[in-house]
Amino acid sequence: MSDKVRDRLSGLAWVLAIFVAIAVVWEAAVKFFGVPLFILPPIEDVITELFSSPALFLRNAAFTVATAMGGFAIAVIVGILLSVMIVSSRLLERIFMTLLAVIHSIPKVALAPLFVIWLGTGFEPKLAIAAMMAVLVVVVDTVAGMRSVDPEMLNLARVTHASPLAILLKIRFPAALPQIFAAMKAAISLSVVGAIVGEYVGGQSGLGYVIIVAQGSFDTPRAFAAVLLLSIIATALFYTVVWAESLFIPWHVSQRPRPAG
Amino acid sequence: MADVLSPALQDRPAPDKVPDVHISIRNVEKVYRSQRGSVVALENVSLDVAKGEFVSILGPSGCGKSTLLKCIAGLEPLSGGEIFVGRQRVAEPPKDLGVVFQRDILFDWRTTLDNVLVTVEFLGLKRRDYEARARSLLATYGLAGYENRYPWELSGGQRQRVAICRAMVHDPQFLLMDEPFGALDALTRDELNLELQNRWFADRKTIIFITHGISEAVFLSDRVIVMGRNPGRIIADVKIDLPRPRGVAVRDTAAFTAYTGRLRAIMDDANAGITHAGVLS
Ligand SMILES: Nc1ncnc2c1ncn2[C@@H]1O[C@H](COP(=O)(O)OP(=O)(O)OP(=O)(O)O)[C@@H](O)[C@H]1O
Ligand SMILES: [Mg+2]
Repeated sequence: MSDKVRDRLSGLAWVLAIFVAIAVVWEAAVKFFGVPLFILPPIEDVITELFSSPALFLRNAAFTVATAMGGFAIAVIVGILLSVMIVSSRLLERIFMTLLAVIHSIPKVALAPLFVIWLGTGFEPKLAIAAMMAVLVVVVDTVAGMRSVDPEMLNLARVTHASPLAILLKIRFPAALPQIFAAMKAAISLSVVGAIVGEYVGGQSGLGYVIIVAQGSFDTPRAFAAVLLLSIIATALFYTVVWAESLFIPWHVSQRPRPAG
Repeated sequence: MADVLSPALQDRPAPDKVPDVHISIRNVEKVYRSQRGSVVALENVSLDVAKGEFVSILGPSGCGKSTLLKCIAGLEPLSGGEIFVGRQRVAEPPKDLGVVFQRDILFDWRTTLDNVLVTVEFLGLKRRDYEARARSLLATYGLAGYENRYPWELSGGQRQRVAICRAMVHDPQFLLMDEPFGALDALTRDELNLELQNRWFADRKTIIFITHGISEAVFLSDRVIVMGRNPGRIIADVKIDLPRPRGVAVRDTAAFTAYTGRLRAIMDDANAGITHAGVLS
């Protein structure tokens, strides 16, 4: 247990150390090259900006987090359901894989304005874009995971006359969990991107909206404050998935105690 | 009783006419086909196993022992011939069967106990009714105290023993075991051989047991089948007439060593046959 705690603490320490390092380089660059304020403000201005209107930042950050997490949840649930269908039927595989490849080849940013037309400027279009950004990676990885089950395990299931549902829930799904978590780590970052894209093109909430408005008035410190907050949020969400992974698949190779050195 | 079989045993009565035949393998062929060519894994294999009989299969690596086992278990389609288990022609895995595969294939996400009970879950039986039996089996196989460990915390031999418990937990009438004691030290192996023999003697399940151990095969079996390779076929069928139950001491008897000597000679010939074939082709 102490090993795990130490692992996690040192993970957190690394994140903090890297944030600090970036801040130092940033500050040094601003001072050393004399960068104008509207291009790159010194970090203390950004932090001051953050604390000058905490309510605004909190409200919009909450909106972005809700969008990203909602889109992520939809992507994971829909992605796993699609994967189950794809794995269970050749025909469905053809249909869904082709469809997903086509959808994925369209840049989501290009679709974003259409979503505003279809779904308005509220929460829904942003949720849809966030989910769409993330769903393919979930499907691709989950299908790969469910397919790569040891055929001897399936022989074992056949010998004991396991039902298709039991094979799915007790073999394919747990066997695919490591890949599903790998996909979720990519998906959470993608759904944050999707949320921001959605906020750029319509509506009046979210950190994306804050950035667009700040850009309009050349308020670089405010834009930077939003970006800083966003990067903290994205990092926190990512590590939440990492933490969930260690909770759900303690049996996987990647989670076992590592030998020293 | 002839040790060496005639090439084909056709014109035998249907299994339902001979009440004590449990498994009837008739002129089975198995060819694996792939882009890189085809492998004849089994050629004209015929074998009857009586209800309650303990039959071992010996043979060099790659002669088709595991293939034959998978065919009997209904896991591989036959390229020719047929297999009956009871009166049922095998097309899918027969009922009331337990299989120990050559690899242990434990589920990494389940503890030892849950790995054993997976059979029960898959069969749609109640876990509760079998948990005590699972625990006692684990204890018999030296795994008391390991019930809540994960497979990756076990040694190779321990994992194999979990796989044996998993195959036996639902008390099947018919067991197929593919080198179940392969990864064990000599002492543990002797102990488990004794345990398996006593268990079999008590409840007379039908067992087909694949092994590379000649002495193990003689100790456990009513009959020892020897297979040869290229192509995989049965080259000898030796009845073991030693009194039951057998104790460890039986190994030092002249009768026992006569059997092991004879089997070793048959296997040497089989291996020599390979060498000649290799030189000729
Ligand atoms: N799935 C497969 N596809 C193609 N060829 C196979 C397959 N499984 C086995 N073979 C081939 O069939 C032959 C018999 O293999 P099998 O596994 O039955 O041997 P075995 O007697 O069990 O050997 P061992 O003692 O090493 O376990 C081998 O030549 C092997 O290469
Ligand atoms: Mg084998």
